[in-house]
Amino acid sequence: MDIVVHETGTDTAVLECSGRLNMVSAPQFRETVASVVQGGRPRIAVELSGVEFLDSSGLGALVGALKTARQAGGDLRIAAPSEQVTMVLKLSNIDKILRSYPDGDAAVREWA
Amino acid sequence: MGLTEVVVGEHRMDFAAPPDDVTAVHDFLADVWTAEPSVGGEDRMALELAVVELASNVIEHAATDVPVRCSLTLAVHGDGLEARITDDGRPASVDLTSAALPDETAESGRGLALVQMVVDELRYDRDGGRNRWTVRRGRAGALPA
Repeated sequence: MDIVVHETGTDTAVLECSGRLNMVSAPQFRETVASVVQGGRPRIAVELSGVEFLDSSGLGALVGALKTARQAGGDLRIAAPSEQVTMVLKLSNIDKILRSYPDGDAAVREWA
Repeated sequence: MGLTEVVVGEHRMDFAAPPDDVTAVHDFLADVWTAEPSVGGEDRMALELAVVELASNVIEHAATDVPVRCSLTLAVHGDGLEARITDDGRPASVDLTSAALPDETAESGRGLALVQMVVDELRYDRDGGRNRWTVRRGRAGALPA
């Protein structure tokens, strides 16, 4: 998967993701979030419109990233999930703990 | 002359992990959907999730120095889809009756629960020294057989 980090504010970032969030890419996603948080941006919006596939490995990475952000005093939000991603978030009940926004900019705007 | 079951198509791919990973499974399924345009979007999403979850389990469970050799078949029938993954890895110890979703804060353990939500049948057995996982799903909008 491709992850582009947009440093949108002093403590916020939008991670624009595309491809698949699965067993292959989950470690890369966790590492990217950890490094953005360590870099002083613990408020993270994950833009998912370009992610065409999410599975349980990807869900685990999202939950882990949420914990990483919260432990640093921040939070993690998701934005613009595709149809497949929405299905998996709903089936797993993760939609209850990860609030979804229309797009990455909308997700970080409230933090500004 | 008896009735013959109409098989729209049967597709097969063999892989070995390592070096292959679930990318091979995604690529295989993309080719199958191109060859089987009658399979609708909802059925594709369900099957892809189920098959990738099972393949991920096989690859993770194997996780030894010796590659695990896997075979994936997907049969597209008029009224349903059936996928089967076999591998020559260690026997899996699974209790499919307890495949429930873990706590929301868990970072693993959701795979088989998700599979069961998107298929009508999930089976595991050993066949000739190989693990065999089978999933079946009726096609959305299919007429009863």
